[in-house]
Amino acid sequence: MSATIRVLDPTPPYAPEGKQQRRTLDHLQGKVVGFIDNSKPNFDYLVEDLSELLLSKHGVKSVVKRRKRIATMPAADDVIKELAGQCDLIITGSGD
Amino acid sequence: MGYADLPIAVVPHPFGAHSRERIRALAEQCANDIAKLACGATAQGAQGAATSAEQTREVEVAHDLDSINLLFRERRWADGLPIVPPTSERVQRMLRHTTRPPQEVIATLPPGFGAATTELIAVNAVMAGCDPEYLPLLIAAIEAAAAPEFNLQAIQATTNPAAVWLIVSGPIVQRLGMNAGVNCLGQGNWANATLGRALRLVLQNVGRALPGDMDLATHGQPGKYLFCCPENEAASPWEPLHVEHGYTREQSAVTVVGAEGTVNMNTQAKDANELIQAFALSMPRPTANDYRFGRGGPWIIISPEHAECFRAAGLNKAQVKQRLWNESKMPARLLVPADMRHIQDLRRSDLGTVTPDTLLAICRAPEDLGIIVAGGPGTHSVYVSSFGVTRAVTREITGAI
Repeated sequence: MSATIRVLDPTPPYAPEGKQQRRTLDHLQGKVVGFIDNSKPNFDYLVEDLSELLLSKHGVKSVVKRRKRIATMPAADDVIKELAGQCDLIITGSGD
Repeated sequence: MGYADLPIAVVPHPFGAHSRERIRALAEQCANDIAKLACGATAQGAQGAATSAEQTREVEVAHDLDSINLLFRERRWADGLPIVPPTSERVQRMLRHTTRPPQEVIATLPPGFGAATTELIAVNAVMAGCDPEYLPLLIAAIEAAAAPEFNLQAIQATTNPAAVWLIVSGPIVQRLGMNAGVNCLGQGNWANATLGRALRLVLQNVGRALPGDMDLATHGQPGKYLFCCPENEAASPWEPLHVEHGYTREQSAVTVVGAEGTVNMNTQAKDANELIQAFALSMPRPTANDYRFGRGGPWIIISPEHAECFRAAGLNKAQVKQRLWNESKMPARLLVPADMRHIQDLRRSDLGTVTPDTLLAICRAPEDLGIIVAGGPGTHSVYVSSFGVTRAVTREITGAI
């Protein structure tokens, strides 16, 4: 019997298949920012405050706010298409 | 979340408990973080994902069980229990029982979006102790769990105690020697146990749902180790589950359920009306996700003794579902004020204004309520509440050799 044995790794190699890599922005001035409110408690307030701050202090041109019905479901396809079509940056929440 | 470079700004948990003033203060820092991250700063998660790309597919380890298990423990590749070493020889032996090519991607599993190839599924099945001929069943279970309506992303990552329950039906139950009778959800049967365990290992290792990392269950539940049983077709007055879903009696299928856990319903009722009443009284629970979200699929596991009452009454399964759905509605007044406000917010689009007199249904429609007959003698049936935003999915077991 040999002193060692080879076993197979049960995890997959990391492969970002089909995932679009993010683009970075040079700055936020004049950009359109989208929010997907995950509908968790208080996230609507954070969206409200972040919108104000991004507009007033970071030069963002406008914000677009949309809300998921339930946190544990993905945003609707038409919402994703709409935001992807008009926003330079999209922010959503995860967790509690 | 499948994106190596997803920029993440972090606000402290529990965010839902913060005051309005505290949120305003946190938003200041968060807005600055977002500005930095959007303009190129590296996200915290990026390095971790890049490191995992360097993992090799084979690992050399000292040839003794203790060392092998220590390796799997250190790399967090096991479920907390010792494993069977997945040697190439064992994995190849298992792969001979399916027509699916080893490198075929059966599904991409969230939240890490790892590719579940036939071979990787076999590696995890070997670790769980599965016999080689179990592989096609496990492959079908993975296909079912990856269906969008099952909502695996949420089930894997949630704080809720969400397990994936496997229900097996069809001739394969006998062929694999599964236990649909006494203690069918308990210990003692090799196929029930190792198949349930193998599914968990695939979800953890391929989906990358590691506890405390992307699996954030507050408590979890024992069913997250394994949760698998077949239907007791011989004791059922109704057509088998897979036939209900359009397959023939000669086909075999596996159903996945996003399950919260099991509740014993012990009743001496001997007629169908009383049984339905007893079940319907046991189902409402003001803190249940099924009632809150209304988009789940709870199940009833009816014991053979209770099933006989339905046979005697001549009720078909659809009739039992309809009556249970009607009679298990719960008045919203049972919710505490905070939960009432939450449901008023969540359900406005489908329920309008929720008042204390609003009757909340356990799921969208009677057909979303699942029923099987399983178990041995006894006056017990089981209520399995669901994760609340999930639908059970059934897939045929194919490709067996």
